Amino acid sequence: MSKAKRIMKDLWSQYSIVFVILAMFVVLAVLTGGRFSRFSNIMTIFRNASTIGIIALGMTFVVISGGIDLSSGPVMATAGLVLVYMQGSGKFPLPLCMLAAVLVAGVFGLVNGVIITKAKVPPFIVTLAVGIIARSITMYIGGGATISGDKTDDLFKSIGNGSILKIPTPFIIFIVLAVILTLLLTKTKYGTFVRAVGCNENAAAYSGIRVDRIKIWTYVLSSVCVGVAGIIEISRMVAVSSTVTGSGYEFDAITAVLVGGTSLAGGRGTVYGTVIGSILLYFVNNMMIQMDISTYLTGAVKGGVIMLAVLFQARSRK
Amino acid sequence: MAKLVEMRKISKSFSSVRVLSDVDFEVDSGEVLALCGENGAGKSTLMKILAAVIKSDSGEIFIEGNKVPKHVTAMDMQMLGISMIHQELNLMDHLTVAQNIFLTREPLKKTGIINFKKMNEDASKLLALLGQSDIKPTDLVNGLKIAQKQMVEIAKATSFHVKVLIMDEPTSMLTSKETDILFDLIQRLSSDGIGIIYISHRLKEIKQICNRVTVLRDGAFIVTRKVSDVSEQDIANYMVGREIKTSCAGNFNGPDDIVIELKNVSDALLKNVSIKIRRGEIVGFSGLVGAGRSELMEYIFGLRKVEEGEIYINGKIAGIRTPVDAIHYGIGFATEDRQKTGVIVGMNISENINLIDQVKSKGFINHSKNRAKNTGIMIEKLNVKCASQTQLLSNLSGGNQQKIVLSKWLLVDSDILILDEPTRGIDVGAREEIYSIINELSMNGKTIIIVSSDLTEVLCICQRIIVMHEGAVIAELTGENRNEEKIMSYATNSAASGGK
Repeated sequence: MSKAKRIMKDLWSQYSIVFVILAMFVVLAVLTGGRFSRFSNIMTIFRNASTIGIIALGMTFVVISGGIDLSSGPVMATAGLVLVYMQGSGKFPLPLCMLAAVLVAGVFGLVNGVIITKAKVPPFIVTLAVGIIARSITMYIGGGATISGDKTDDLFKSIGNGSILKIPTPFIIFIVLAVILTLLLTKTKYGTFVRAVGCNENAAAYSGIRVDRIKIWTYVLSSVCVGVAGIIEISRMVAVSSTVTGSGYEFDAITAVLVGGTSLAGGRGTVYGTVIGSILLYFVNNMMIQMDISTYLTGAVKGGVIMLAVLFQARSRK
Repeated sequence: MAKLVEMRKISKSFSSVRVLSDVDFEVDSGEVLALCGENGAGKSTLMKILAAVIKSDSGEIFIEGNKVPKHVTAMDMQMLGISMIHQELNLMDHLTVAQNIFLTREPLKKTGIINFKKMNEDASKLLALLGQSDIKPTDLVNGLKIAQKQMVEIAKATSFHVKVLIMDEPTSMLTSKETDILFDLIQRLSSDGIGIIYISHRLKEIKQICNRVTVLRDGAFIVTRKVSDVSEQDIANYMVGREIKTSCAGNFNGPDDIVIELKNVSDALLKNVSIKIRRGEIVGFSGLVGAGRSELMEYIFGLRKVEEGEIYINGKIAGIRTPVDAIHYGIGFATEDRQKTGVIVGMNISENINLIDQVKSKGFINHSKNRAKNTGIMIEKLNVKCASQTQLLSNLSGGNQQKIVLSKWLLVDSDILILDEPTRGIDVGAREEIYSIINELSMNGKTIIIVSSDLTEVLCICQRIIVMHEGAVIAELTGENRNEEKIMSYATNSAASGGK
């Protein structure tokens, strides 16, 4: 193999997902006659992608540690409910309301992590059950209805709807979190230990890593991200539907993580991959709208994109 | 007469690395042929080509003079009488013995449903022929001992009317008693005219049961000799291509400075174990599988709780409840299962070497400069053969992986190193290097505890040998008392019962 060819191959294996997204961008821009590539449209995509993106950031850690978190969507609804009740009552300052939402979500993560590690129940089952419980509690408290907060609170609404220097605020939050979590994964011991646990739990334990603690923190981190995503999502309408809010978000987040190249088997993955994976998902969504394709077909196209992205990665890894 | 199997000019490359070049190889019927070579010499690759698990780039294979067509599958080869028993046995844990033996060839009733009755009867017959009547065809494989699983593999091979049986390191997981049973079986199979290809690092076994030995080195054929014409030393020299010296450990002569002491350790398995070990001493633990050696080590390392007993480190009682505690007391543990609990194969050399250092050091950020420096020192010190610090562990040979395990513990300057089967599956050259590292550590005042089922190894490097039997310390051997006969008689408890 020539040197140039090898460099190309290395580039491809590392950044294939970036190439895919660039190629899609160009194709979409042409197909939609430039509508897609308009700045305002791109910013809309970024805004929409941020909620799932932030959930996916936390999910990345869980998946790298060898777990999965299926409770994200319902936990977001529960945290959102706490948020609108507190905000709507007018008795609490906004930062306290938001902190409460993140804390509530974090407690669910702690419960997930503790049961998974101490009772040794598979994460799939624990988080599925915790998710079902969270959804049920939300519906009970909310009476199955949509609960609104104080819609006159412009500061709160600006979190999800505002922009800073024309960049959507949610996207800025998303990127800031992504940078912090990238540093956490690559530059700290915690990040190394998460990967070690995901690669080989036994060897990690024999090396003196407190495996249970590492795992519990990944679930707490995942839920805290869900709480933050919840604040953004709720602030856009200042309302929570106890039945619909967050429904299916966990799967979109897992999809974004996988499309971003993180291995479901654990041990391998990147935060930047997840960021790109999330954006890619919303590229597809947006394309369907721009091209007037029935929204019922979104799933079909999304599924295809996932398969292609993962297939490319599997191919380039060989 | 045509040879049973003849391989001519076999070549094979993985990506750009040549692992076999123009290798010629042959086996006669009724012979036990040893295939020797260091790790990476190409033994397993050659045998996998013979079993058609992988394809060669060039070369020809003849079975009883007939050329084997180019595109055969492993199943075709089994039908032609070539069966391979891999080191990591290839059985389905949740299926029964009979289901495993007849996998994909289940006898059917006319209706197309599996005829379990016939299948179990046939399996039972096969096992009886091998003298393994205590294995029931309806047993689940995951409930069997490793030796029994191996017998199931052999039964599976014989069900194909095997002509050539390839065994890759068959004794590496067996006790010496189980090894004897296996050797009897090998003799019987060969006297039935079956050709046996025996891959092993244990030269002593080769002298014991093989007729001829073929040596590969760096992917090339080196020599085939009659075993009776060569010594173990000769074989080892052929393998590494140079002279190797084996020396035996002398007695410990350092000061009487007790580093670790166990007092009355007891539970369901361990019986009142009390041991003192001195600074710089190399102590070996011998015994049969189930004698409690591994359990004792797990206890010292905080992986196992006992009902009674205490550990004293440097004269003070040590409350070790988890591996984290043990590491802080300066204890290191290189486990017997390298892949499972030793290294993390999905991470690179630098990450593996620095893992325990990171656990032990304070702070949250990991310093990549330090890491690179430490890794460099260790790679040089232990002579690890690698392309770069960021090479994944999965791309290293067993010997080099073991050196990485050692360097993990050396980096944190462990005072007490427990090495469980430190050279299992490692070639002669790397083994010598590991022995010399152990000796050097002992000179520098590190205490080494070795658990090994390889008696030659224990005798070669341990200054004192503690023999365990059914959870109790039954003998401590030093000086002239260290020999295989004594160890075995204590391990099987024949000496003790004779003495009482």
